[in-house]
Amino acid sequence: MNIRLTINGEKRELAVEPYRSLLDTLRNEAGLTGTKKGCDVGDCGACTVLVDGKPVNSCLMLGVEADGADVLTIEGLQPSPDRLHPLQEAFIRHGGAQCGFCTPGIIMMAAALLAENPSPTEEEIRFGIAGNICRCTGYTKIVEAIQAAAKELA
Amino acid sequence: MRRFAYHEPATLDEAVALAAAPNAQILAGGTDLLVELKEQLRRADCVVNIKKVAGLGGLRYDAGGLHIGALATAREVEISPIVLDKYRSLMQSVRELGSIQVRHRATIVGNICRASPSADTIPPLIADGATIRIRGAAGERGVPLEDFFLGPGKTILAPGEVVIEILAPSPLPDTRKIYIKHGRRKAMELATVGVAVTHVPGGETRIVLGAVAPTPIRARRAEELLRANRLTDELIAKAAQAAVAESRPISNVRASAEYRREMVGVLTRRALEQVR
Amino acid sequence: MSAVIGTPVRRPDMQSKVTGGARYAGDLALPGMLHAKIKRSNVAHAVIRKINVDKAKAYPGVQAVLTHENVPRVLHYGSPHPRSASVTRDQYILDRKVRYWGEGIAAVAATSEEIAEEALDLIEVEYQELPAALSVEQALAPGAPVIHQRADNLVVDPVVVMRGDVAPGFAEADLIIEGTYELGRPTPAYMEPNVCVCQFDDEGKLTVWISTQTPFMVRGILAEVLGLPHTKVKVLVDHMGGGFGAKQDLFQTEFLCALLARETRRPVRLEYTRKETFLGGRSRHPGTVWLKQGFKKDGTITAREAKVVFNSGAYGSHAPGVTSVATWALTSLYRCDNVHLEGRAVYTNTPIAGAYRGYGVVQTYYALDCQMDEAAEKLGFDPAELKLKNAVREGDLSPSGQPIVGHGLEDCIRRGMRETHWRPKANKEGVTKRGWGMGCEMHGSSAYPGIKEQGNATVRMNEDGTVQLFTGATGLGTGAHTALAQVVAEELGVRFEDVTVVHGDTDVVPWDIGAFASHTTYMGGRAVQLAAAQVNQQLLARAAEKLEAAAGDLEVELGTIRVKGSDRAISVRDAVQPTKGIPSAQLVASATYSPTKSYSFAAHFVEVEVDTQTGQIQPLQVIAVHELGKVIHPVAAAGQIEGGIQQGIGHTLTEDYVIDPKTGRSLNAGFVDYKMPLSLDMPPIRTILLETAPDPGGPFGAKGVGEDPIIAIGPAIANAVYAAIGLRFRHYPITPDQVVQALKKA
Repeated sequence: MNIRLTINGEKRELAVEPYRSLLDTLRNEAGLTGTKKGCDVGDCGACTVLVDGKPVNSCLMLGVEADGADVLTIEGLQPSPDRLHPLQEAFIRHGGAQCGFCTPGIIMMAAALLAENPSPTEEEIRFGIAGNICRCTGYTKIVEAIQAAAKELA
Repeated sequence: MRRFAYHEPATLDEAVALAAAPNAQILAGGTDLLVELKEQLRRADCVVNIKKVAGLGGLRYDAGGLHIGALATAREVEISPIVLDKYRSLMQSVRELGSIQVRHRATIVGNICRASPSADTIPPLIADGATIRIRGAAGERGVPLEDFFLGPGKTILAPGEVVIEILAPSPLPDTRKIYIKHGRRKAMELATVGVAVTHVPGGETRIVLGAVAPTPIRARRAEELLRANRLTDELIAKAAQAAVAESRPISNVRASAEYRREMVGVLTRRALEQVR
Repeated sequence: MSAVIGTPVRRPDMQSKVTGGARYAGDLALPGMLHAKIKRSNVAHAVIRKINVDKAKAYPGVQAVLTHENVPRVLHYGSPHPRSASVTRDQYILDRKVRYWGEGIAAVAATSEEIAEEALDLIEVEYQELPAALSVEQALAPGAPVIHQRADNLVVDPVVVMRGDVAPGFAEADLIIEGTYELGRPTPAYMEPNVCVCQFDDEGKLTVWISTQTPFMVRGILAEVLGLPHTKVKVLVDHMGGGFGAKQDLFQTEFLCALLARETRRPVRLEYTRKETFLGGRSRHPGTVWLKQGFKKDGTITAREAKVVFNSGAYGSHAPGVTSVATWALTSLYRCDNVHLEGRAVYTNTPIAGAYRGYGVVQTYYALDCQMDEAAEKLGFDPAELKLKNAVREGDLSPSGQPIVGHGLEDCIRRGMRETHWRPKANKEGVTKRGWGMGCEMHGSSAYPGIKEQGNATVRMNEDGTVQLFTGATGLGTGAHTALAQVVAEELGVRFEDVTVVHGDTDVVPWDIGAFASHTTYMGGRAVQLAAAQVNQQLLARAAEKLEAAAGDLEVELGTIRVKGSDRAISVRDAVQPTKGIPSAQLVASATYSPTKSYSFAAHFVEVEVDTQTGQIQPLQVIAVHELGKVIHPVAAAGQIEGGIQQGIGHTLTEDYVIDPKTGRSLNAGFVDYKMPLSLDMPPIRTILLETAPDPGGPFGAKGVGEDPIIAIGPAIANAVYAAIGLRFRHYPITPDQVVQALKKA
């Protein structure tokens, strides 16, 4: 099947098999490998992307279901090639990433969180990223990074 | 994932016809279906995506109550002011269903049709006296939600039948509700025990237990003890014990039967203390 | 004094990690690439009587099928440290015998993942089932099924450690205390599932993109098994999504992927699902520690006796090393002159235990520290005071045989006591009760003496004054390459931004033993420092000509070379770049460093809350004090500590990979039921870094910190639970169910 969608602001037409997830579609068909496959069954959040502004696990959505959708992945978050999004900058500065495998998903989830709630409490941040597993950081520095980005964006 | 054929019917009749095929699976949110297909717990020769079916709706509230259409997502319920105001236990259960990412895709009807004994949204909706509307080749029927489940993963749905919506009636004034979920972590859990209580002071109290029987169950003897009575400490303790006696949990990797029984008592007591 | 060391420089690897540009092995797509899947056994112990792949081979899209009948039968090491004392040699690529439920028995390469997966169903297997030994007790029972060659099912001969004489030690004790501690089966659960891509070129050279901690070891073993010279095997590791020790093993994938690529003459990708990462991955060793100690009234430990029994699972993997390190660790932490320790590792028909952060010490120090807490109470001591009294210190013999340097452990305990105003009051009123506990640990940097280690580095200065470090050390995500670059910048006298790290290509970088044993900063860093020091000398010699001064009179920092005590200066760039017909110099040096071992120390203090009705335990706050010699990058060091604490909280309270005691089947091979603490479960952690016991063996005194943080948090939690509810748990994980049962009995 052919689907038409917008990915990171760019209109794309992709040929997809109906049994492939949006995650595989992004990684293999669209060549955007920043979105990661940590579990492929919705438990880890590493594949989080925004579909029409909403954070979803792209492993739990078929590629064909994205027909007509507006998809934002980690590759599309930078406002310009030479500038990082405040979340990206804060994750670097505060040590919010280590191995980096969960990072794209957490940053996308955090972006959705801040879009909805620009000044979240620590508890709201922890609630917001409850579906994103990070095995390296203990979350302390991730929470700090999101708080710092929220301030920056305010 | 194994390969399958895929359909996007535009009408309910078409959907019902497609869903009647052997090994046809209905896709709404997909957050359970795709997992089960990937883990080979379920097989699909064809997948019928009902998202484009005309007439299947989302969340709506009117004089009849809360209509949770087949396409209403958990997230819609979670952020609905009406649900916060009138269906508090449902809101509590939804906030603990998977992650925000999952809730943006998962539908309440899907959570119910999956018929997991531990499904979070079922106990509050049964406690609220919800009914479920089903459409099949032979037409439409309505069933009380508590009669919908036959066992783990099993419902009264016949092949080709599609759930249109769930209707949760408007609560009487002063109705109090709570859902308490017990798990090892604070999120991303399948309930080891779930307890929903809908309490009308001076009237009926409904207690529904999740994850302690093949289907969510009402603790009817406990409810009977409380009927039209003030919730005293003594009565609450008795009701909690009755609920324990009514539960029929199993032991598995999540918890032992003995512990689950014990928690039915603790959580039922805590729930009743909080609604009185 | 330090210009770069100790500052939180911007980690270069982070840029691509936050933008999605970082390439992991699984991100690779090559033209014509095939996809491989592994068929896994559904029995725990059996001989494959017949395996029929005809239907699978005939399935449209299938390109090759491998079984034990058509792969080379080569007995190989479970971990790619060939000939190391730490690992066993007991595995075949595919074997006729199945030793655990979930073991790979065949592999398929096909034109798509779906086809490969569908084809697995078409492989027909006839098993002759054998009685299985699913626990250590079953494996050690008389007449137990024999899993490998040894009839006693031991992986290696027992480790026996004797110092002094325990009999008189116990005789003079005022208090003798003993207990058996049972340890669960946590797994590292790194976020990136195991993956590799293999491709042969037309000249027969194999390129392997893989997520491994030990690329040179993978190269070596693939070359050995495939009969290729090392020049014909190239292993590439760029970014990797965590490893925590386990990714220094072999997972069948490396061989199967390479063999499928060779047979099909096409690139092949083999990626584990999350479920397979559990089934085919490695866990920490479950087991028991029986521990008995004698104490005098004044708190002196007079004797220590222990029997450590680890369940190695179906293969030996790192069992020899883990058992040895775990057993020897009991000679230390808390001083004792008379010890008699025994360690055993036992084969069972369960998934494989391997190397995982903490390497056996998690288990034995859980027992040791919990028992110290118990002894303190019986002796009328405060637990922290008793531990402080007995803490190892300067000059004591360490487990590896070297004297301990400094007073790191005492410093950690004292600092933690001060920070918490020890001993904080427990709140024992009401349904939920609170209490504080503390635990201690020490851990070695480098695997010496088990492995005589070696770190290598090459440092090269370019004609514009920028510097390239060539290192074979892999970056697991902890910031190792940043730390190494900081060492180069500091030693050489350039800005951090002017140093880049070349890594991850076995054809290019110096040989490396792999990233494990908390040694990359310690050992790799020292090798890097030695190489950078040589380039520094070359640089100053060249600058001396240009500045018309003696090289010995020059100093260089942050890219500027000065004549000491004068204002004559020149930039590094000007010093090295070609001028007036003089070409640029080749400033390059390599260094090799063979370390012994250093020890880092920590004391963890934790407050927990226990719901006495549900049995749920919630850590409320952690104060972690670590002594690591010299902090290279404070943010990365603290981050690694906090992540280790997360994993330690996990195995102490919620994480346990459960194997069905009847069938050997994995019961929770996924993130729903293998429960790692998530954002809402993790308490705030305050990390305090001390530099009070620098080690002369590390760069600028730095020691490792990778494994330390996972060790002390466990006993700290168990001790805090005791403080809250007065119940001692001698096992992990401590489940709500057990808490409720224990409270009922109490």
